Amino acid sequence: MILGRVVGEVWATRKDGRLARAKLLVVRPHAFYEPAFATGHLVATDDVDAGVGDDVVVCLGQPARVSAGGENMPVDAAVLGVVDRVELDRRALDKPGPGPGIRRPLEVPFP
Amino acid sequence: MIIGEVVGRLWASRQAETLGGQKLLLVRPIAVKGARRVVETPRLVVAVDGLDAGPGDRVIVAHGTRVRDITVGERVADKDVVVAIVDDLELG
Repeated sequence: MILGRVVGEVWATRKDGRLARAKLLVVRPHAFYEPAFATGHLVATDDVDAGVGDDVVVCLGQPARVSAGGENMPVDAAVLGVVDRVELDRRALDKPGPGPGIRRPLEVPFP
Repeated sequence: MIIGEVVGRLWASRQAETLGGQKLLLVRPIAVKGARRVVETPRLVVAVDGLDAGPGDRVIVAHGTRVRDITVGERVADKDVVVAIVDDLELG
């Protein structure tokens, strides 16, 4: 799962029929491990009625489809929760160097 | 999924059997930079189109084998599929 902020909503009339009732949100990830595209956004279906400005957790892949309504949903990302509070440990964030198996350090834009 | 703009169509006379008959679009993903600022990215994605999108359309592209399987079929050799054509995008 990734942590991001809802920055917008997107509407489509012509779409796969299985998306007919899906609410589609534009989410800007706070930190994204190995993104497929450097787009600064992703589109996720919304199951929890999140709104613009909310921080959310977004699930990617197969669990996202299940959450969005079943394995036959043509989606790859779903908002699973609205975040109330995040705690980050500054000492852990500032620890130099990426961890084992991580090709580059994450940039976490939190105060 | 990501949002991108269809910038062209792609044809190939010599292609693998698994791409035969598929309409292929060149999609340039948008990048969301800060509030309401949308810029183009230098990347291009070749996506299979099942919705008859055309150049100039903004589309939502989903990625993955499962999405491919249930939209355009298991025999297609492309994991990026157009699943929606955007009417309206409202940021922030």
